Amino acid sequence: MILTPEVLTLCILNILFAFFAIIAFVLSVKIFLQWDLNATTQKQYLLEKQSFLAATIIKYIFAIKVPLFLFFIFTLDKISHVLTGAMCAAGVVDATQYGTYLLILKVINLYIFAYWLMLHRADMQDENQPYTKRKFGLFIAAFFLFIAEVVLEGIMFSAIDVDKMVSCCGSLYSSSATSYVSNIFRIDTEVLLFVFYGNFVLIGLFYLLKNKYLFALSNLSFIVSGVITLIAFFGMYIYQLPTHHCPFCFLQNDYYYVGYLIYFLLFIGTFSGIGAGLLPASNTSRNIGYKISLLFNGLYVLLLSLYPLFFYIKNGVWL
Amino acid sequence: MKNKTWLQSVLNIYLIEYALSAILRQKYKNFFILSIFTFLTFLLASVFFITNSIKYELESTLEALPQIIVQKIKAGRQDDMDVSAVDEILSIAGVSDAVARVWGYYYFQNAGVNFTLVGVDEYENQYKNSLEKIVQKFDFNNEENIPSMIVGQGVKENMSRNYYKQYFNFIKSEGTLKKVNIAGVFDADTQLESNDMIVMSKDEVREIFDIQQTKATDIVVKVVNPEEINTIASKIRLMYPECRVITNQDLQVSYQNIFDYKSGIFLALFIVCLFTFFMIVYDKASGLSSEEKREIGILKAIGWRVDDVLKEKFYESFILSFFAYVLGIGFAFAFVYIFQAPLLRNVFIGYSELKTSFELPFVFDTQTLFLVFFLSVPIYVAATILPSWKVATLEADEVIR
Repeated sequence: MILTPEVLTLCILNILFAFFAIIAFVLSVKIFLQWDLNATTQKQYLLEKQSFLAATIIKYIFAIKVPLFLFFIFTLDKISHVLTGAMCAAGVVDATQYGTYLLILKVINLYIFAYWLMLHRADMQDENQPYTKRKFGLFIAAFFLFIAEVVLEGIMFSAIDVDKMVSCCGSLYSSSATSYVSNIFRIDTEVLLFVFYGNFVLIGLFYLLKNKYLFALSNLSFIVSGVITLIAFFGMYIYQLPTHHCPFCFLQNDYYYVGYLIYFLLFIGTFSGIGAGLLPASNTSRNIGYKISLLFNGLYVLLLSLYPLFFYIKNGVWL
Repeated sequence: MKNKTWLQSVLNIYLIEYALSAILRQKYKNFFILSIFTFLTFLLASVFFITNSIKYELESTLEALPQIIVQKIKAGRQDDMDVSAVDEILSIAGVSDAVARVWGYYYFQNAGVNFTLVGVDEYENQYKNSLEKIVQKFDFNNEENIPSMIVGQGVKENMSRNYYKQYFNFIKSEGTLKKVNIAGVFDADTQLESNDMIVMSKDEVREIFDIQQTKATDIVVKVVNPEEINTIASKIRLMYPECRVITNQDLQVSYQNIFDYKSGIFLALFIVCLFTFFMIVYDKASGLSSEEKREIGILKAIGWRVDDVLKEKFYESFILSFFAYVLGIGFAFAFVYIFQAPLLRNVFIGYSELKTSFELPFVFDTQTLFLVFFLSVPIYVAATILPSWKVATLEADEVIR
């Protein structure tokens, strides 16, 4: 069990969120089952009122969740000083068997909540509120994921053993590691880069074709190829070390917190890409989504590509 | 809609203006909430600032501490160590220096305090820069063959309060007295480490504590390359399995654990306060005066949607809580770093007769600001969600009537 003020803060807010999420969940279920816009009953009138409360709560949770996610990463970094062997958040994530799942779940939830917000916006702009049922149905699913996240976070922090030796990111993210991560390093760099840049070109191509489903799909695969290439290839150039691949260390002060920028670009880029594909929206707003996606994904590619480029210009060799 | 810029669609200036004047209209109620909330954030921020400062201070003394300490453990307690181990440790590659220390705590019954007695040898490498200076400055064997010592500021005050102005009588472990002259008072680099310290020659300390010539309290090891500390520590562990080997990293981690634990306990108690506050705000925000109800009614009658009212209420609560947060942080900065946190710092430093008086150094930690933010603003906003929704969904015709 680890009881630092940061962990306690996360727990307090999680409890608060869970409390409100349960309210929103109950309302969502009611709305999802009984919503009928054409009805003029008292019940429908009440539901309409309650939909505002549920939406406000969900908006509130998401608005705090985003900065809290950054704070969570920050906290992991801080805990790593206490754990023997850990040098950054990677060690803490790996300290328990839950860490990796928690992190993945957190990211998925961020995407879902952000998608919910977009849906809500589209819903509110239309006076017929055509997506109300769909958005509250989505929240019912999101609620279970969210509660799973809260529970998992509690379990993870209570499972961390301060006296146990954990692995450092240097050993976790190396080709000699035995975990599934090491498989990444078996892929040839040429193949990896081809897939990464190819994927980005595909996004551009699908933008020109204006095919929303393919566009969303290519963005989805861009999350995977982007993160894998970041770990396997670009990480080395950020650290200027051929052996270091950690996707957490560059969140720290030593690398000017560049990791936050990198992940921010990837999140906005891929999210608005997927959102543009899945959201029921007018052509103009979908076009904006395409452009934002293309812009941020482009910035992501540019930022990452500049690292090896500058390294080559300075040192005359590739790593 | 189309003329609006992006910023305007996100931030509605008129709504903010309206929210501000709404806060001012309810002066007394909001002033009450503001002052409680400011006080809470102030208290919370102060505690974190104090722990940060003390931690910083301790960590800066940590750098002056030896890199590795070797202690002999016998029956679960620390026991005297053979001095001969020094030579064996010195033979490990990478060790630049190993010094056998002779020191201990002396309990002065009259004042009820513990002094730290540290023995130094004039012709030996000192493990601390502050001790090096003392050895060069003072001569421990002065006239009349009465041994002498250098004492810390706090020790000096304590002794003279008990009429020991020139010398001090130590009670040796077999019960006889030993007279030692006070040769001087020193200020070490940090008061935290020197306040309760007495420095004298190793032979005198050995005599007072009855330590044999071949024995020492512990051995400190200096390592050239700090990266090698852990490797060398494990080598020493293999050589002396009966000994406890402590590295300065271990100490740093345990400091962090202690202070995290202390502020964690405080925070755990603080949760009660937070939830009480949550209830107060909830209660205050739910109890609507007829005037407020009429206001909402009029707003809705002139075309405000539920969303607009909710947004305005959100601005209101955010402005109020953020203002309280900024005020609380500001007060905490002044309280801790200008007034040196009277009362509150005793919780963390502990109370003792020889309490060190030191300045809390200024440490600016953005993470603490975020921490306090997450514990204040979201909780206040959360408390206003339900009441705001109730207000926003009031029927215009019912309340105006």
